[in-house]
Amino acid sequence: MKLIENIGNIQIKLFSNLGKFILFIIFFFRYLFKPKFYFKNNLYYFGKIFISSIPIIALTGIFSGMVLALQSYTGFSRFSAESAIPNIVVLTLTRELGPVLTGLMISARVGSSIAAEIATMKVTEQIDALKTLNTNYYNYLVTPRVLSLTLALPIFVTLVDFIGVMGGYLVSVHRLGFDDNLYLLNTLDFLNLGDYLSGVFKAIAFGFIISIVSCYSGLFSDKGAFGVGSATTNAVVVSSILILSSNYFLTELFF
Amino acid sequence: MKIEIQNLKKKFNKNYVLKDISLTIEKNKSTIILGQSGCGKSVLIKTIYQLFKIDSGSILYDGKSEVDIDKFSMLFQYGALFDSLKISENIAFTDYINNKTNFHKKVFSLMNDVGLDKSIFDRYPSEISGGMKKRVAFARALYKNPKVIFLDEPTTGLDPINSDKINDLILKVITKRKVTAVSITHDIKSAIRTGDNYYFIHDGIIKDKGDCKKILKTKNKIFKAFIDGADLKY
Repeated sequence: MKLIENIGNIQIKLFSNLGKFILFIIFFFRYLFKPKFYFKNNLYYFGKIFISSIPIIALTGIFSGMVLALQSYTGFSRFSAESAIPNIVVLTLTRELGPVLTGLMISARVGSSIAAEIATMKVTEQIDALKTLNTNYYNYLVTPRVLSLTLALPIFVTLVDFIGVMGGYLVSVHRLGFDDNLYLLNTLDFLNLGDYLSGVFKAIAFGFIISIVSCYSGLFSDKGAFGVGSATTNAVVVSSILILSSNYFLTELFF
Repeated sequence: MKIEIQNLKKKFNKNYVLKDISLTIEKNKSTIILGQSGCGKSVLIKTIYQLFKIDSGSILYDGKSEVDIDKFSMLFQYGALFDSLKISENIAFTDYINNKTNFHKKVFSLMNDVGLDKSIFDRYPSEISGGMKKRVAFARALYKNPKVIFLDEPTTGLDPINSDKINDLILKVITKRKVTAVSITHDIKSAIRTGDNYYFIHDGIIKDKGDCKKILKTKNKIFKAFIDGADLKY
């Protein structure tokens, strides 16, 4: 009897959280078009996210490109198709690895920090203080973070694509003995605007997912240090799962 | 502003925190809400402030059920200062976020009123002491010239000297600015010093009320036990 009660409670909690999350998104769009828009705050968060993420974005890009070139060589050299490596590197990066890896890295770097910051604000009554100062926390906290990350992620993906291709180039030319001009020519020849734009579209979707999930996790966290920890973990786990699952549907869309 | 509360009930999940509260907060007087931790004091003032919705009962503000919460302000237990903003930006928050820049003079004047040194104007909350944070929070609460100020345990976590300073400050503000004050406290000494009348809440119900100057003469057994420092079981 106790087991059935527990299963029931878990289901109620799950659906109530889902309902709260959907309402949260609806309220976000509602307040997005309300007049109070803190431009300075938006600019501040965009700058903060951008500067703090550049190093991990660069490292993600360069190592992904380098590994991709090496692994492609291992496979393609078995049937003498090494010349396809520049094509594979650029296609995989722009369509798939760029947006997905960037999304996962940013959810760990920025998503966790958003959730922890907002959860701490909740624990220390700063969210209540905002309400007493007649400030809507959607406009002041949620909108700047969601807009900044949704706009920043396509830029990050473009950087990862570029740096990744350069990583592939470095390994292919200096380690695998490719001709440098031929490698770049093949890359540019094969680079298709549609492929790049599909990656950018994915980046916009992932940026929105990470930021909205992280803000929600922070604002609806439990109290105390445990609450802050859980909010951070939830933000990273839920946004990573949503990135990976939505990636399939977005890939189907651009297939 | 006079605030009248009738049969107020408030629950979280299935638990009633406020079971049946009726009280009156008189205009330009200092009302003290006393009670043990977890008895519902903070929930009560947040409900009056309209941060929580009421489950049943009524709250009338000068006889009306609706109020502009811009007339209220609150000093939170631990200050609730915004970590990413400077002290001056915290105090003048409402102007700062609306991109107004001419708040410096008013901030300096408030800092002076609450006994803060001008040198902390550009510092961040993490760079000042607990007592200073309370003062900054107090200055922020006064910035919008409220009609009613809610003080959530204003002396908690402070040493006796700083507690006395904060109590003096509360008295000064209430008399000088003619505001209605509602304070939550465990501290009987503070209540006697800064309050006009008191309400003692136990287990979500008002158990005693009266004049703050006569607190020590109370005949209510539970309140007496509370004053004597006994652990009251709910």
